[in-house]
Amino acid sequence: MQLIIQHLNKTYSNGVQALKDVSLTINQGMFGLLGPNGAGKSSLMRTIATLQEPDSGSIQLGDTNVLTQKDEVRRVLGYLPQEFGVYPKVDAETLLNHLAVLKGITNSGERKEVVKALLQKTNLYDARKKNLGGYSGGMKQRFGIAQALLANPKLIIVDEPTAGLDPAERNRFLNLLSEIGENTIVILSTHIVEDVKELCSDMAIINKGQVLYKGSPLQALSDIEGKIWEKRVPKAELEAYRQQYTIISEKLVGGTPVIHVMADTDPGDGFVAIPGDLEDVYFSHIFGRQAVAV
Amino acid sequence: MLKEMIRFELDYRKKRPATYLYFGILFLLCFFAVTSKYVVIGGVAGGQIIENSPYNLAFMTTIMTFALTFIVSAIMGVPVLRDFEHKTDSLMFTTPVSRFAYLFGRFFGSFLVTVLVFCAVWIAFIVGFSIGKYLPWEPSWASKEILPFNFWHYIQPFLTLGITSIFIQSALYFAAGTLSRQTIVIYVQGIVLLVMYQVADTMLEDLDNKTLAALLDPFGMRAFTVYTEYWSPAEKNSQLVPLEGLLLWNRLIWVGFALLVLAGTYWGFSFNVVRTGWRKAKAVVADKTSFRPESVTIPVARQVLNAGSYLRMLLQQALFYARMIIRDVPFVGIVVVGLINLIVGAFYFDKMYGTSSYPITANVLGLLNEFDLFFLIIAIFYSGELIWRERSVNFNLIMDALPVPDWVNLVAKFIGLLLIYLGLLLVLIVVGMGVQAANGYFNFELPLYFQTLYTSTLFFLIAYTLLAFFVQIMANNKFIGYALMFVFFIVTFTIGAMGIQHPLFMFNSGSLGEYSDMNRYGHFVTRFSWMKLYWFSFVCILFSVSVVLAVRGSEAAMRTRLRIGRLRLSRPLVTFTLVTIIAFTGTGFYVYYNTNQLNTYRTQEEEEQWAVDYEKTLKKFEHLPQPKIIESNLKVELYPGDRDFTAEGFYWLKNKTDRPMADIHIQEDVVNAVKTDYLHFGGGEAKVKQQWKDFGYTIYQLPQPLAAGDSVKMNFRVSFTTKGFQAKGSNTSVVQNGTFINNTYFPSIGYAEQAELGDDDLRRKHKLPEKERMMEQTDPRGLSQNLFGNDADYIRFQMVVGTEPEQIAIAPGYLQKEWTGKDSTGSDRRYFHYQMDVPMVNFYSIVSARYEVKRDKWVGPDGKAVNLEIYYNKGHEYNLETMLTSMKKSLDYFSKSFGPYQYRQLRIMEFPRYSSFAQSFANTVPFSEGIGFIQKISDPEKDLDMPYYVTAHEIGHQWWGHQVPEASVKGNAMLSETQSQYSALMVMKHTFSPELMQKFLKYEMDKYLQGRAMERKKEQPLVLTEGQGYIHYNKGSVIMYALQDYIGEDKVNAALRNFLADWQYPGPDSKQKRYPTSRDLLGYFKAQTPDSLQYVITDWFENITLYENKTTEASYTRKGDKQYEVTLKFTSEKYVADSAGNEKPVSLGTQWVDVGVYTKGEDGKDKLVYLQKHKVTGKDNTVKVLVNAQPAKAGVDPINKLIDRHPDDNTKSVIEGSPTT
Repeated sequence: MQLIIQHLNKTYSNGVQALKDVSLTINQGMFGLLGPNGAGKSSLMRTIATLQEPDSGSIQLGDTNVLTQKDEVRRVLGYLPQEFGVYPKVDAETLLNHLAVLKGITNSGERKEVVKALLQKTNLYDARKKNLGGYSGGMKQRFGIAQALLANPKLIIVDEPTAGLDPAERNRFLNLLSEIGENTIVILSTHIVEDVKELCSDMAIINKGQVLYKGSPLQALSDIEGKIWEKRVPKAELEAYRQQYTIISEKLVGGTPVIHVMADTDPGDGFVAIPGDLEDVYFSHIFGRQAVAV
Repeated sequence: MLKEMIRFELDYRKKRPATYLYFGILFLLCFFAVTSKYVVIGGVAGGQIIENSPYNLAFMTTIMTFALTFIVSAIMGVPVLRDFEHKTDSLMFTTPVSRFAYLFGRFFGSFLVTVLVFCAVWIAFIVGFSIGKYLPWEPSWASKEILPFNFWHYIQPFLTLGITSIFIQSALYFAAGTLSRQTIVIYVQGIVLLVMYQVADTMLEDLDNKTLAALLDPFGMRAFTVYTEYWSPAEKNSQLVPLEGLLLWNRLIWVGFALLVLAGTYWGFSFNVVRTGWRKAKAVVADKTSFRPESVTIPVARQVLNAGSYLRMLLQQALFYARMIIRDVPFVGIVVVGLINLIVGAFYFDKMYGTSSYPITANVLGLLNEFDLFFLIIAIFYSGELIWRERSVNFNLIMDALPVPDWVNLVAKFIGLLLIYLGLLLVLIVVGMGVQAANGYFNFELPLYFQTLYTSTLFFLIAYTLLAFFVQIMANNKFIGYALMFVFFIVTFTIGAMGIQHPLFMFNSGSLGEYSDMNRYGHFVTRFSWMKLYWFSFVCILFSVSVVLAVRGSEAAMRTRLRIGRLRLSRPLVTFTLVTIIAFTGTGFYVYYNTNQLNTYRTQEEEEQWAVDYEKTLKKFEHLPQPKIIESNLKVELYPGDRDFTAEGFYWLKNKTDRPMADIHIQEDVVNAVKTDYLHFGGGEAKVKQQWKDFGYTIYQLPQPLAAGDSVKMNFRVSFTTKGFQAKGSNTSVVQNGTFINNTYFPSIGYAEQAELGDDDLRRKHKLPEKERMMEQTDPRGLSQNLFGNDADYIRFQMVVGTEPEQIAIAPGYLQKEWTGKDSTGSDRRYFHYQMDVPMVNFYSIVSARYEVKRDKWVGPDGKAVNLEIYYNKGHEYNLETMLTSMKKSLDYFSKSFGPYQYRQLRIMEFPRYSSFAQSFANTVPFSEGIGFIQKISDPEKDLDMPYYVTAHEIGHQWWGHQVPEASVKGNAMLSETQSQYSALMVMKHTFSPELMQKFLKYEMDKYLQGRAMERKKEQPLVLTEGQGYIHYNKGSVIMYALQDYIGEDKVNAALRNFLADWQYPGPDSKQKRYPTSRDLLGYFKAQTPDSLQYVITDWFENITLYENKTTEASYTRKGDKQYEVTLKFTSEKYVADSAGNEKPVSLGTQWVDVGVYTKGEDGKDKLVYLQKHKVTGKDNTVKVLVNAQPAKAGVDPINKLIDRHPDDNTKSVIEGSPTT
């Protein structure tokens, strides 16, 4: 099964163009959607999750037209929105059980098993009788993941799932996803490059509603191989470098700025070639575009 | 700092559009209230009370400052809450602002804004009254003289009553919002306040509670009405309502309470972001992982998505929502408050003169209806909550992506609420039965409970819930949704007032009607069922639209919703919608066919216009000499099942004038749409000379003129046919069980003056001249006709009544024969033939029902036996003995005191409770099931025995009205009603304790004083009463009781006896040549009154006299062993009022007034030890009396025989010591 997105456009009533001619083909496995806040990731994911209408374009999931056969999509969908709340006075087990019914798991024995397994899987089993109002941010997020996995979805859309998770939780979650991701389409949006690097066989970078890159992370890395140059610069000179080069990233290491630039050839001036990582891919597409164009 | 905070608050509100919106709402509402006929506040103005009178302005201001309490709550509830909701609390509380400045800055800033917003009220009043005349539409006071502009009249009530009310509400809402930090608590509190107002209102039904009720109302509304209840129209037009007395106390108590609440808020408000609640939040349980999540495999579960699983989802969701509502604290709050309101109401329901009814299920259902308001709040509020449930907690995206069909979500929300309703209705039934059991009544009619609540009430809830769903979904903003519902109510109300009153346009119209034990829900069920089917189809259509347009997903723009909506038009949904549309239009047409084709539909305006046209066209015939009916002989066939009847037979008409008559004018009963099948005179066909079909008025020309003194037989047949159902109030006289009609259904002679518009305001509106309510006492036309109309003097009467075999039919007269037979269609019939053996007035009733009969006998002093019969509905046996006793005692007393009873029989027949009265016909008294039959006299020492009293009054009419019918002129009711009232009082006096008599008279006095305060045209002295019940019943009671107290019962009876002897069966044919007036009777009273008391006749009957008696000092000193000398200082004043209530003090002259001294009895109650009349000649008086017991209380006119608006200050506790000099 493939998810084929073609020429998707969406402009909100306030004039913001959230999606600009987005076309993607997503195969089974983990697909990473990388982009900064406000890039249009959530808009795209909500559209795939039948929750939003594009102005034009089409989305096809196997034989199903996502935009018109919403019920068909929802049968196989697991969705975790970026931000969500819960009913504060209901406990996790009750709500998950409730949602399981609504997902169509009508056999109560099976439902019990599934609910139990998911609660254990998301490490919420001990807190299952506790009202969701008392959950911490991480626990709530895990609950969200549990519900998205109900009823063996074939299409899982998780919007910024690792936000608010501590590193241990994050690892556990990513492992969980990778377990499931083998014969399922999993679309994972994030602005954390690491998430994609570790998990995804395929990815897209999106900014300001446009797809800037699509391909596999490995391909992306090989694309920039030998093109990333690094230099430690004194703080005082940083501004001058900014003028001179298209910096794709700058960060402080031990209090001194370290800048990366992308160039096909050695820019000289003390820059050292380094093996670029996915972060550089990301930043190069977000910030380096202009430079590439030039 | 405080100033800064206040300024901040003002600036904030200045920028909020809502502030201007609130001002606008208030302004427009008030502006239209004073400039249009369609918006009414309070509704006290009109008639004599001028629209811009200080009283009406104060009344409207008081109402407007509490009725829109939601505006106060919206401004005052949120100032602190806002900081929490916008999460600016941490910012705010870390600034160096003190708690005091923060809280009170917020409070006073917002309070100031609220006051400014409410200034819209008086500004709108001023503007409205100033420019009302120049508007393109007519205000209700268009052609009326209103008072000149006086700024103070507008501003004074706002300052004294308005601002205090706003302050009290402000403090409470502010405290609720600040301390609870929850919006919903503010709303619940608003409901609590309104309930307190309601409770105060309920309590007012018992006179003893007036003060308490006035103090209990937080808005001051009840205090206002109690304080001004006896104000005459003149006072209302001229006096500002001062802040004093009860009103001042109410304001002081509540303002004080508000200040306490504010202080409490200050102490209770924690200036911390994280609050330590009463209940410690449970600590987060640390994960104790006893297994490794990695090792868990998620089992594969079968996903079933088909019709069966959708139903399962539906049920799951519905229960989920229902559980959520039940656990919601505000929900529990609303229910509890509503139940408390019911339980308070249970102590007071259906009271008459302080006496309750048996809690029969019909009455309890009436009580349970009071929960409807709370139901409405729950329906509207929780409809909004459920529609917004997922979105308000931000769970909507998860829910919306589930494989749940679109319709399941909304239907589940609906069913969730439905479950709540079903449960609450069950709770109500339990409460109802509890109320019955607590009163020792165990005849629970469970089927009736279910039949009523699970149809009428449940449907009402369903209709409003689906409407609210629709509005919420279309508005797509919870608060705008609520606001739109509010607008919906206002619009519905307004279009109703504007003349769109057809049930097809009044949402959820078609009530089940009142339940009668006799007739059950009778014919109401048909109309109810059709109307509900109509409205149910309508709300189902709305529901379909809601399903199609409901927001699912993250987009709410209507354009998108319409686009997605198309995808939702599944075959079942389309089918459902089409079916409901067909049902809606189908039932709509059927209803229209019934209301407008089978029956005639007229709006209020059209009905008024009809009356106007009738008057303009036919008034010229009003005093045309016409023959009089001298005999009525009819065969009436009643078909109660079909609600039809026919009457066939003849009248004999006699020309009593001295000129021949060629034309006879016949008026059909148009009101009840009775059709004349044929009508002819003396065998030959009379020619129709002229006919007005619309008015049911026909002029027949006799073949030859009717010579003076000659008679003609008028043969006719009329039929009354019920066709389908009507738009408005169906006929409740011809019913399945308990028909009660009288001769007004049959043809009458000449112009019907009673069809004219009576109210002066209405007449002005239609450009008709104002009119007198009755003819002058000197008018020969009035003197030659009696109160039963000008169709006849006395008639010979017989009638055959046929009815269904299970029913007994009764008409005046004696039963000659009863038989069963078949009518022309072959159905079984039961016939009764009644005949009266003496002439009687032209006023007769026909009743028919499935009766039980109770019989007894009374033997008069002359040895003549009178058969007593009560025809009652099975189950209503409670007061039969009382009624029989009253019949006997009354016959005893009246025949001894006034003259013999003219008949050999006396019957009481129960009729359904659609009307609440009893009425005396010749030897026949129809008596409503709503009064008397189900009254409960639980403590004969404390409760007034209403059936006893009403029975005695009606029997009194056999003398006053039937033996002496009075002239149809001003003051007439003083002869029939006041004397029947006096007769009943005397029977009661010889049965009841003096305390009970005093209680009865206290109610009568109160009703009189209230009645005169609301007089629309002019108050008359008793001797000129013009159909004014508060005068001829209530004032009549007080005055007649005082008269017999002053001149003696024997003397009054002697006067009545003499009057009866001279005036029995009066009229143009009698020795007196006319009917008597109240002046005639007054002559007999005067003749029995000693010279020293002649003044009471003038003061009490001929003038409107009010007394102010007040004890200023009461003290006693011991005289010897067991004697006490009581010194009483009191003031005594007398006022005479004109017809508007303008009073002027008049000199007392020489008066006699009671002085009384009470002692404490052994049972702790006050007991009179001294009661004597003392002569009084001036305002200030000192009286010394010797008594033999320790005095406790003393005073002037202590048992309130004289009309006095402040009866409580007549007595005072007596203190030991010498009087001051």
